[in-house]
Amino acid sequence: MSDARQRPSSQETARDSLPTGQRTDLTDQQQSVARVIHSWHMPSDKPNILKALLSLQEQVGYVPLESIPAIAEALGVTESDIAGVLTYYPDLHTHQRGRHLIRVCLGEACVANRAIRLLAELTDELRIGLGGTTIDGQITLERVYCLGNCGVGPTVMVDDMIYGRMTGAALRSLLKRCQSCSQGPAN
Amino acid sequence: MATRLYLSNDTSARAAGADQLAEAWSLDPEIQMTRTSSRGALFLEPLVERDGPNGRLLWPLATPDDLARIKAGLGGIEISEVPFLTRQQRAVFAQFGMAEPLSLGNYRATHGWRGIERAAGLSPEGIIAEMKVSGLRGRGGAAFPVWQKWDIARRTHAECKYVVANADEGDAGTYCDRMIMEGEPFRLIAGMLICAKAIGADRGYIYCRWEYPAAAATMQAAIDACERRGLLALDGKPFQLEVFRGAGSYVCGEETALLSSLEGGRGMVKVRPPYPAVAGLYGKPTIVSNVLTFATVTEIFSRGAAWHASLGTARSKGTVALQLSGRIKQPGLVEIPFGASLREVIEQFGGGMADGAQLKAVQVGGPLGSLFPASQLDIKLCYDEFHEAGAVLGHGGIVVFDHETDMVELARHYMTFTADESCGKCAPCRIGSMRGRELLERIDNGQGTAADLALIADLGDTMKATSLCAHGARGPYPVLTAIEHFGDEFQQRLQAKSGHI
Repeated sequence: MSDARQRPSSQETARDSLPTGQRTDLTDQQQSVARVIHSWHMPSDKPNILKALLSLQEQVGYVPLESIPAIAEALGVTESDIAGVLTYYPDLHTHQRGRHLIRVCLGEACVANRAIRLLAELTDELRIGLGGTTIDGQITLERVYCLGNCGVGPTVMVDDMIYGRMTGAALRSLLKRCQSCSQGPAN
Repeated sequence: MATRLYLSNDTSARAAGADQLAEAWSLDPEIQMTRTSSRGALFLEPLVERDGPNGRLLWPLATPDDLARIKAGLGGIEISEVPFLTRQQRAVFAQFGMAEPLSLGNYRATHGWRGIERAAGLSPEGIIAEMKVSGLRGRGGAAFPVWQKWDIARRTHAECKYVVANADEGDAGTYCDRMIMEGEPFRLIAGMLICAKAIGADRGYIYCRWEYPAAAATMQAAIDACERRGLLALDGKPFQLEVFRGAGSYVCGEETALLSSLEGGRGMVKVRPPYPAVAGLYGKPTIVSNVLTFATVTEIFSRGAAWHASLGTARSKGTVALQLSGRIKQPGLVEIPFGASLREVIEQFGGGMADGAQLKAVQVGGPLGSLFPASQLDIKLCYDEFHEAGAVLGHGGIVVFDHETDMVELARHYMTFTADESCGKCAPCRIGSMRGRELLERIDNGQGTAADLALIADLGDTMKATSLCAHGARGPYPVLTAIEHFGDEFQQRLQAKSGHI
């Protein structure tokens, strides 16, 4: 990052060279990545890598590894700076995940209320492990350490919704809803 | 005339079904729904309220079918009938459950701005002198005297200084910061402004964990509302305040890691000194304090430092926000002066154990805290008594485990967490937590030996003594206290006794 402060002009150069419109030789995903990177207005003295990656992920769904050089250039930092941040945070992802994201809370309050048993039911039902995605690409299963919903646990988060007082039966009906609707937020 | 109903918009109320109620009743023209903060009596959520002759009437655990009853005013209970609420001595959370979180008018009407108005008439030295009298210690876990930190930042000369609210409430079993941000966001802003005035800062950040989307959105909306009214200003100069989202790293709750993350880098812990109050964000003097700390500052300036100093014990002044959860009847937020015993809190507020459950262990202070067996619940909830017991009050999380809890599995879970969340900066934590996890996996699988148990004790001592921050230094505590109090369970799981040989 100190590198960037010494040569703030490189950011402008990088931006100018990025595609501004639709280019036919790029895939949809590459075009979205390029559009997001082009829209950044980072103050050149303090490029914020984490903020940039989160904004890219929010719009594209994940941070494609192939986009690291373009991000590094846009922010005026090295590729290893980007890779370092990208690999550090559990909630930055380098691959497309399932259409629906199910997160089981494994904070102690939920563990006290048998969240580990719920998780086992889910892995059995979906036949995937933690971090896995079902073969049809519908559901990715993750764990999270505390959603701050300890008073009404055990807690499961499906996409953007947080559900409390989860039971096996409630979980199965949530799963059915996920599996039956093919439309939904692609994370 | 339409009936006004009040329903909490807090994440936990929504997770318990508040949104379904709001949706089911949205088409009824006779209903006017106001979404409020939560009272924190989470065992009653979703809780529907309406105005009654003696204050609010409550309908706990409401379902969509209850509407007719509520409209007719039948079956509602008064707050005085809920001991969980009446026994508390609320200050920071006094207004919770009453008002719309984003209504500046409501906040002003309940004297929310009184603290900042009083502080505006004081000099920076005067503000810090008040803080010293109040005896407030940081509520995030470290319990450092707040005035000292502020005074160091005030005395350090720099062209810019920062105020950062640590909203990375990562300790499992804690949620009071989330409730403040979702329920009374202006309270946090006011506390940060008072701090900014004291140290001479013109910029602030709220570092909000990824897991709290509703809190981040509410804070942003509150900042926007303050900006529109010109309230984000100090002595006529603008104070820039921004919400920054984390990305799921527990260690980012440690102040130096938080600042690295705020700068956009890996959330790695740094060696202190220099402390952030001298050289923090971008090398500038920075006050990093927990959300509850800032929220309490607002109250101190509203009610006076002497009020705060009159509550609690000799060295733990004020109120403690306890967050009860686990296998008890009445999980929720309890604000009382420091000094009650753990047993009193679990019995009087927690309402005892859930049906059919027997108390086995209580964890206080999150994943870096200690486990207490049923025989040791008379400990007083204050910093010093916990310190003497080698435990920490942390951020006030109390999780109750019942007789079905497998302590070996739980210990393994703790060490897995420590390993998963280690930032990797120092070897004792990075490698120690990994080896600790492997040892506990082995024991949990019935393949451990007595030597493995001895090794865990040794490893724990090393991590405690040599880790760079509390994550590595306190991470072994739940495991070591589990072995200390429930050693038989570990012994029985060892290889020779499980018949694996």
